[in-house]
Amino acid sequence: MSSANPDYKWRPVPTNHFRYLRACMVCAVVLTLDEFTRKGCPNCHPVLDYTTGSDLAQMCTSPIYEGCISIDKPTESWIAKWLRLDKYVPGVYATKVVGDLPEDAMDYLNAENIEYIPRDGSENNLE
Amino acid sequence: MSNIRDANLHSDEEDDDDFGEEEEDPRPEKRQKRAPSDDEEEEEEDDDEDAPKPSGRDKSRNKSNGANDDDEIEDLEDEDDDEDEDEDEDEDDEGPRRRRGQRRAHNPFLDTMAEVDEDDEVDDEEDDEMEADFIAPGDDDDNLRHRAGDDRLHRQLDRQNQADFAEDLEKVAADIRDRHGGRRGHRLGDASTVTPKRLLLPSVNDPSIWGVKCKPGKEKEAVFTIMKKVQDMKGTRNALNIISVLERGQSMQGFIYVEARRQADVLNALTNIPNVYARSGMILVPVDEMPDLLRVQKKAEITPGTFVRFKRGKYQGDLAQVVDVEQSGQILNIRAVPRIDYGARDDGTDPTGKRKRSVGAVRPPQRLFSEAEARKYHERDLTSTRRGIFNFQGDTYEGGYLVKDVRVTALQLENVNPKLEEVTKFASTGDGNESLDLQALSQSLKASTDKYAPYQPGDMVEVYLGEQAGMVGKVTRVRADIVSMNVQEGPLRGKDIDVPFKGLRKRFKEGDHVKVMGGSRYRDEVGMVVKIVDDRVTFLSDLSMGEITVFSRDLREASDSGGMGTAAGKYDLWDLIQLNATTVACVIKIDRESLKVLDQDGATRTILPSQVAAKIPPRRKDAVATDRNGSDIRIEDTVKEIAGGENRSGVIHHLYRGFAFIHSKELQGETGGIFVARTNNLATMIAKGGRIASSGPDLSKMPEMMKKPGGNMAPPIIPRQGGRDRILGQTVHVRQGPYKGLLGIVKDATDTTARIELHSKNKTITIDKMKLGFKEGSTGRILSYAEFVQPKKGFGGSSGGGGSTSYSSGGSSAGGSSWSGSRTPAGASAWSGSRTPAGAHGNSGGGARTPAWAGGAGGDGGRTPAWASGSKTPAYGANDGSRTSDPYRDGSRTSNPYRDGSRTSDPYRGENDGSRTSYGQTVGASGGRTPAWNPGNRTPHYGSSESGPRDSSTAWDSGSKTPARSLSNINDQWNDSYGNNSSTTARTPAGYNATSPEFSGGYTAATPGASGLSAPTPGGLSAPTPPVSAPTPRANAWDAPTPREPVTAATPGASGGETRRYYDAPTPQGGGYSTAKTPGAWGNDDEDDAPGYN
Repeated sequence: MSSANPDYKWRPVPTNHFRYLRACMVCAVVLTLDEFTRKGCPNCHPVLDYTTGSDLAQMCTSPIYEGCISIDKPTESWIAKWLRLDKYVPGVYATKVVGDLPEDAMDYLNAENIEYIPRDGSENNLE
Repeated sequence: MSNIRDANLHSDEEDDDDFGEEEEDPRPEKRQKRAPSDDEEEEEEDDDEDAPKPSGRDKSRNKSNGANDDDEIEDLEDEDDDEDEDEDEDEDDEGPRRRRGQRRAHNPFLDTMAEVDEDDEVDDEEDDEMEADFIAPGDDDDNLRHRAGDDRLHRQLDRQNQADFAEDLEKVAADIRDRHGGRRGHRLGDASTVTPKRLLLPSVNDPSIWGVKCKPGKEKEAVFTIMKKVQDMKGTRNALNIISVLERGQSMQGFIYVEARRQADVLNALTNIPNVYARSGMILVPVDEMPDLLRVQKKAEITPGTFVRFKRGKYQGDLAQVVDVEQSGQILNIRAVPRIDYGARDDGTDPTGKRKRSVGAVRPPQRLFSEAEARKYHERDLTSTRRGIFNFQGDTYEGGYLVKDVRVTALQLENVNPKLEEVTKFASTGDGNESLDLQALSQSLKASTDKYAPYQPGDMVEVYLGEQAGMVGKVTRVRADIVSMNVQEGPLRGKDIDVPFKGLRKRFKEGDHVKVMGGSRYRDEVGMVVKIVDDRVTFLSDLSMGEITVFSRDLREASDSGGMGTAAGKYDLWDLIQLNATTVACVIKIDRESLKVLDQDGATRTILPSQVAAKIPPRRKDAVATDRNGSDIRIEDTVKEIAGGENRSGVIHHLYRGFAFIHSKELQGETGGIFVARTNNLATMIAKGGRIASSGPDLSKMPEMMKKPGGNMAPPIIPRQGGRDRILGQTVHVRQGPYKGLLGIVKDATDTTARIELHSKNKTITIDKMKLGFKEGSTGRILSYAEFVQPKKGFGGSSGGGGSTSYSSGGSSAGGSSWSGSRTPAGASAWSGSRTPAGAHGNSGGGARTPAWAGGAGGDGGRTPAWASGSKTPAYGANDGSRTSDPYRDGSRTSNPYRDGSRTSDPYRGENDGSRTSYGQTVGASGGRTPAWNPGNRTPHYGSSESGPRDSSTAWDSGSKTPARSLSNINDQWNDSYGNNSSTTARTPAGYNATSPEFSGGYTAATPGASGLSAPTPGGLSAPTPPVSAPTPRANAWDAPTPREPVTAATPGASGGETRRYYDAPTPQGGGYSTAKTPGAWGNDDEDDAPGYN
């Protein structure tokens, strides 16, 4: 349970830091790069450890994303359910994250038997 | 105890997380176990939606546990009460929260356990392990020891139960751990738990989504602000009950969407949020539109091989190919054809760095990197890391291409529309292999929106993406990028389906005859399909017999008559084309890739379509040239070579400058029956449309004669009198303008204006001399300025004066109005323009003059009074009479003989002009004018210049038409008799007149003498006369008087006098004219008409 950190507390982001915001390609959570690297992704943390100082955080998060959703009650939210964010911590998420998850990140996910849901809109096209 | 709850919570969550679809199993069990402790809770907990409570709340409680718990509890209870009240409003929905409230009600119970709780702060990770410790049996024993009563027993029992419960939980947790192979539960989607989206579609039980207006561009900010507010308010009594806030800045600008159960919650949450206008109304998003709200369109994927364009910089607009995508698509490694100016001296990259190459410098052409050149000019800038890879002036070149990392933002990714020729530059890789990646190209192309519609109704298309892949059908309709197609094969046959462009491609069969349509280098190629791979179609070109591969989207089924190559596509047989600035030619044969043309010198050559400078669009059909006889010839006239040729004859296809391209039916052979001839070697045989091709006397020499008088065609100037202006001191009438009718004395005068002291008003006005009427001392007649000024030449002189007056009045005083009335825009200039007035005249000749008359009514001394009197007074009646008898007509009638003569005499045109001229005389009635105008006569000769004659002729035509029309309007009586003749009549006198002044030499007198004028005048004058004599009898009016008149009444004076008296119009000439122009009167009567045919 450590990964989806229940202690995670969403922190407001000042407007002038919006430009540092990035979205995690795996869970679509929107945080500043700084937060990603210092605390890791609140949802993906142990699987994808952004705090190691490697450029994993850079690689697995994208500054190109669309549509912000702040979710306060993920389990109640249909939006969260639809975007498959309902198991994640409350916070701000993106509807679309542009970018391709690097291979090695994909490997980490596969190793944990996690199905990676692409957040770049390609999911819709599959249907 | 709180730990237990935590554990409880966790297990709940884990249920959610890990059991996924098998949720149902563990739950009932769990609930049973929990039952003893949660006795009250049990009933409430009917809802299976055990939502884990937001951790924040737990935390806040946990933190406060250590201190004064009771207070805290009270607080919490209060809060709970509040919440309960809130929730009463809709209990049904609020199951989960209610449960939470109930749980809190048990806090006292939890409290007792709280003492144990020192490791609350410990990371949740360790919780599971901790549980085992603090529910250790020892703990239990201790408690038992202190037991001292029923109360205690009860409590102990409770605790026992709690402990059991905890143990069970532990077991459950362990179970879960076992089941998942020790993997830590996490919230990332598990392969087994990803539910298909269609099962996630919103139901009525899901929260609603409200759209709220927001300041565009501030959506994201609003979302963050709301999130912050939610968090800030959390745990307070005003906690916000919204569930989520959504923003789709890109697609739904100006809106944010709030997910909540109740609208009130939304309002509550959005109050005081800047830039969000919740009060201006919110829109409930219908359930079925909710997925659309979250729809995410994947943009065209940038994959290596895709083509992009530079947005700016030296390479702006250049095509580049993506080699690699870096940093998750934010930086693209691209290659492009470099633009290096090797010759650029170092100053461009001066060490000082100050002087940058100016932006306006010529952009070096695209060329692959050349090591040799780089070495030659800038050896020190060149380093080579590996074979074939160079660093040169800061850029890397690989295999000749510039290879560079470029930010996505500097590149244009959509609508790239790579052209094949651009793409081919990328075709060769370093190893020389042809590696044109059509796949990539098609990617780029597909993403681009087309300028032309790639699909058109009737196309056979095939769906290759999506559920309907494999469908083949015929396009029935195209809307935006959706194609409606009628399925032609398979089970859905006959059904209509809609498919987006994206998943569609055109379908061809091998053997189809296809034509390349757009965006390709092979545009217009036609050929037969030999191979189809996906959407690439290879066909054998009919032209080159080579294989060409293009995308099916660029192809269309060609009509069977294909085989017309590029040449054929653009040019048709017998098109007139421009070969160079001075040469034109007519296409006489079209080969596949060449044209055979006959140029204007009669030479036949074979040229490539590329050598054609331009295609000369077919001239308007009324292009006119002049044949050897001076008559005009037009396209489609049948003409004959009469000089320098072989007596060929044929139909004119093109007229270009002095050349005619003529098609002869007899003359087949290599030129396909076309021959070229100079127009002045041609004679008209049959004019198209029955234009009268007369072969009368050659008037082509007229210009010479006409030149004599003045050389140029400037309007004649009323000769200035030397010395004192004669009009000074005269008492004059103002005949026009606001002071019309007033008397005054000329105080001062310039060439054109006079200062008049009015009798009636104590005022001196400046007025155009032409607007003045001068009282003739002896007769009391009112003379126009021109009349007044003309030196006296007996009666004739005066009449001549009349003529000139009328002109000048027409030209200057009546000015534009009268002429424009008769369709010539500007009086004077029109005159000099000669052509236009001619037209006008022709027009007026037919009776169109009348309107001109009417228009210029005020303008002419002679006319005006006549007109005035005519309209106002009994004279009017006279006018009517004249009208009925129609002096004009008479004149024209009269001139019938003339007409004949004229017809025989001359090319039609010349005659026309003549007629016009003469009318000019009559109308303008200027003696001086007429001659002056005569040069106008030349126009026809000019006439060889294309437009002139054309215009005039049209003018003529209309002229001929007009009268008929006007007549019918005016006088039924005359309809028949007149209508027919009108044009000719109009013309005829003209013809006569035209020549007559000419020949009479009337012109020589700058101020046309009586004689000069007299010639035309009679026409006019004669006309009125008859009405006098025989107003009613038509026949009479026609024949008898008129012929006599022109002949006899060479001295118009007499007739003028007559007329004058008759009409009792004071101005003699004017009178005469006016009578002639009686039609003017009717023009007046019928003013609508006048402009109408003008």
